[in-house]
Amino acid sequence: MTATRGGASPAGPKGQPAQRPGALGFLTDTTLCIGCKACEVACKQWNGLPMDNIGWTGNSYDNTGDLGATTWRHVTFVERIADQAGRRPATLQPFQSNWLMMSDICKHCAHAGCMEACPTGAIVRTEFESVVIQQDVCNGCGYCLPACPFGVPEISDTDGKAHKCTLCYDRLTDGLEPACAKACPTDSIQFGRIDDLGERATERVASLRERGVEGAHVYGDQDVGGSGGIGGLNAFFVLTAPPEVYNLPRRPELPQRKSVRGYLATAGAAVIFGAAAFFSLRER
Amino acid sequence: MAWARRALAGAASGGPAGGPAGSVGEGLSGGYQRRWETRGEGRRGRGRSVADQSRTSYYGIAPIHKPPWKWLVITYFYLGGIAGGSYALASIAELTRVPAYGSITRAGRYISLAALAPTPLLLILDLGRPQRFHHMLRVFKLRSPMSVGTWTLTIFGGLCSLSALIQAAQDGVLGRRSGPARLLVTLPSRWVGLLGIVPAFFLAGYTGVLLAATAVPLWTKSYLLMGPLFLASALSNATAAIALALALARGTSHRTLARLERLDSVFLLAEAGLLLAARAHLGGVIARPLREGRVGGMHRFGVLGLGLGLPLALQLVSQRYNRSQMGGGGTSRLATALASLLVLGGGFLFRYVIVMAGRQSADDPQATFELTKGS
Repeated sequence: MTATRGGASPAGPKGQPAQRPGALGFLTDTTLCIGCKACEVACKQWNGLPMDNIGWTGNSYDNTGDLGATTWRHVTFVERIADQAGRRPATLQPFQSNWLMMSDICKHCAHAGCMEACPTGAIVRTEFESVVIQQDVCNGCGYCLPACPFGVPEISDTDGKAHKCTLCYDRLTDGLEPACAKACPTDSIQFGRIDDLGERATERVASLRERGVEGAHVYGDQDVGGSGGIGGLNAFFVLTAPPEVYNLPRRPELPQRKSVRGYLATAGAAVIFGAAAFFSLRER
Repeated sequence: MAWARRALAGAASGGPAGGPAGSVGEGLSGGYQRRWETRGEGRRGRGRSVADQSRTSYYGIAPIHKPPWKWLVITYFYLGGIAGGSYALASIAELTRVPAYGSITRAGRYISLAALAPTPLLLILDLGRPQRFHHMLRVFKLRSPMSVGTWTLTIFGGLCSLSALIQAAQDGVLGRRSGPARLLVTLPSRWVGLLGIVPAFFLAGYTGVLLAATAVPLWTKSYLLMGPLFLASALSNATAAIALALALARGTSHRTLARLERLDSVFLLAEAGLLLAARAHLGGVIARPLREGRVGGMHRFGVLGLGLGLPLALQLVSQRYNRSQMGGGGTSRLATALASLLVLGGGFLFRYVIVMAGRQSADDPQATFELTKGS
């Protein structure tokens, strides 16, 4: 296993074919999303997830907020009705007009922060290369929450355990595609082998750019989104605006990459402090 | 409704696109408490124009999740630090072979066990499923500081108890003639103490690494400084705890107290230096929770002022004064006790401030985007 598996590298030098051919995942093409939220509903229905609070956020059509213990697909809505000076734009974008909609989901990172943080071994990698929290093992310590660079897992108030997308593990074992991809009416959510999807994403970005969508890019290769030791994402996206607009970090890092150097610095400090204590006390 | 006021203020001053999403949502949401409302006290996403919001963040909603940890974990960080630090100091004092330091070793061993005893309970109660605490012991993962910490706590619990029992046997607490006491007295206390120094130091410092190995901007940006910072704080707290116990006990020599006080000053200086260095390294956006609001005030006045500056000044003055008055080496018990109390209070506040400021920075999209903007 190497760290060079970029789910989808459009043209970057780091673009490598998938090292693990069995890997399955999502390509979410935001230029095809119509914001119908069928994926959110299908996910909730299949996985038996309870509803979130009913209410209006006032944040465009997004009344879900963000990913959480009971929301494993979340459609973001960005209304770009004004430029930065507050004027209405004179021209419309070729795709999605000035709406940006994106169905967000667990990224099933090639090197997953949540999984490395988990002290019980509840979070495992499956034969499909997806990352799943075993509900009979999780004891709700909460360390996977801040360990995820994308804010995906969350502790449920109902059962005290951490929850997130399972890539519909039960459906995959029966040869079915995940519920969200099945329900998506525009094929904005595409499910398949990572290497196939990566190629498709690259082609799509090239085609979009050709047609004037200059901001089109892949989020989830080792340059953007799957950076900093994460090694690429198994659920990646075609975006048309900077990642921050969709509430995604541009160049996240695998948090545990820092722990070895952190330990070494602490050990160094321990030696210095210990010696200081010894000599300071012994001195007559 | 503080954020609603901010949103309305923003609407008044915002751009033409201004009707900020937040104020509309407030009108419609009625009594519903939603997740994104409870997040991000003091964040700045609300009340801006839509264009501005979309440029900088997604409606001010946090892009990462903060951990659910609060009082139980903060108290664990504090007591675990004191337990590890006082054990290490006790062992080091024993290694110096200075007979007068027997009192330091004795106090350190007992304080260590007393501080360690409640920590497993604190950690178990903090779990979402407390009855599953033993699942922590089904794997050992070097990459997970929490897993390594769990095992260290388990191993250190044994060594700490053993050292305290040996000490008790030596002190005659277990009875002079009882079988266990006679067995314990024969054990090599110094070697057990030396063995325990490794997990003791680890316990005192790993909590900083545990926080640094996350995506929370305020914890992870200065990841090299976090472990040493928590270690310095743990050692200064432990020194203060031992000094306090010895100052209150009878028969401790002034000289021993003065040595402890001087050592505490060293640790406090190191802690202050590391804290200020970390704050400077974090930069304006990420360190914002340390400057603003309630937590920022606690950081300035509580941690830096009452917890570090004042005890340092007190120790300096008392050492100067006593040197001139008593012909060197002495210190007043009252000054030592007072400084120790301040250090112990400041140590708790330090952990509170770091945990709470980290939670605030996790809620601030600007902090995360600043951290992950790349080159």
